[in-house]
Amino acid sequence: MTPLEQFLFLLKAVPVTLGISLASFALGFAIGIPIALLRIYGGSPLSLLADAYEKLFRSVPVLVVMFFMYFGLGSVIHIFKDPYVTSILSLGLVSAANQSQIFRSAIGSVGKTQMMAAISLGLTKGGAVRYVILPQAFIVAIPGLGSEIALLIKDSSYSFLIGVLELMKHASILRAATRSAVLPYIGSAIIYVALTFPFANYMDKWGSRKRRELGL
Amino acid sequence: MVARVLEGLDVWKVYGKTVAVAGVTIGINKGETKVIIGPSGSGKSTLLRCLGLLERPTKGRILFEGTDVYASKLDLSKLRAKIGFVFQDPSLFRHLTALDNVKLGLRRVLGLSEDEARRKALEALRLVRMEEWADHYPAQLSGGQQQRVGIARAIAMDPDIIIFDEPTASLDIELKWEVIEVMRDLAKRGTTMLVATHELHFAREVADEIIFMDHGKIVEVAPPEEFFKRPKTERARRFMARLLGGVTGW
Repeated sequence: MTPLEQFLFLLKAVPVTLGISLASFALGFAIGIPIALLRIYGGSPLSLLADAYEKLFRSVPVLVVMFFMYFGLGSVIHIFKDPYVTSILSLGLVSAANQSQIFRSAIGSVGKTQMMAAISLGLTKGGAVRYVILPQAFIVAIPGLGSEIALLIKDSSYSFLIGVLELMKHASILRAATRSAVLPYIGSAIIYVALTFPFANYMDKWGSRKRRELGL
Repeated sequence: MVARVLEGLDVWKVYGKTVAVAGVTIGINKGETKVIIGPSGSGKSTLLRCLGLLERPTKGRILFEGTDVYASKLDLSKLRAKIGFVFQDPSLFRHLTALDNVKLGLRRVLGLSEDEARRKALEALRLVRMEEWADHYPAQLSGGQQQRVGIARAIAMDPDIIIFDEPTASLDIELKWEVIEVMRDLAKRGTTMLVATHELHFAREVADEIIFMDHGKIVEVAPPEEFFKRPKTERARRFMARLLGGVTGW
């Protein structure tokens, strides 16, 4: 295999790595926002529950969640036997805790006067959150969400341990085939940088500019 | 027969051990402008937020057009839509243009169509002389302009009363005037208004009644001429002397 062929072999794993990362980001987003809202507006029992979720999934390594699902739940419930499903679920559940925290601090920075102004117009609390608080919080959260995507792209490498054919898996196949660790790991490092950098960097710049423009 | 728009009966608001409002009774009739003055921390803002249904009094009753708000099963949101509120801090929604700020309540609370909401919003912006700034975001406007859009946002909803909570307090002197002018126009057009302010000229010119508050209580109520010429209480006298920097006899 020429070095180019080896690199192309690594590149073939990019759609899987990106797919898992973005799918788990979307899952984390969908769960993270309601958790943040429950923590802030939920009232005591629900808020505590959301808090517990955040604390638990921010303290446990992704790998523990992933292995528990795959080896533990997977032996009882068929769907967890699928490494792709399990990867996305475990990364997504952990990401939800991170994203909830990102949104909470973003909502906090929007401020109470905005809520009161929205309520005074006759909007319900739900309406105020939807039309006034969340759109602003989302802008504030953009840089944080960019870092979260970058983190997920890197953490998606764990899923090679349960057999997902993503970038790390391709790298280790390549290492075994070529009996060299140089190109597989330097090549995959380059690819990880190329994947994460645009998200983290672009979203940081875009979000910061938007914040400045709107005075958020 | 005068129509009572908003009424607070023996209103108390207590935060922990702090008594912010201590048994205030106050009523505003249709077409009236009442001005509350008093030192910072005298409970004006808290009282206004209670009357605006933004905070629930610890004790006492709020009547909106004769109906006891908290005793009935009325939808608070629907009532709040009929009470305009202009805040001290710039409270425009920062992700929306001036026009969209005014449109939000028209669309999402009153359920007007896009065209209708736009027409009404532009009309309200015209009243506060901000029409040509319709497409600007709050961050692109001065504090005075933001406050005027805030007033437009309130009047666009056709409220039965507008409550102003020191709308010029956080503005530089030269920006206060444009806001005060707009408020003066509104008062002269017969808008029902309850205003907390330190702008004594404004108070004197447009108020039907001055309400002087201190330590959470109403200390003195009088028509403006009488209040400014011969305040009955020592506390009101001292407060005004301080506010006018020692200037007397105007």
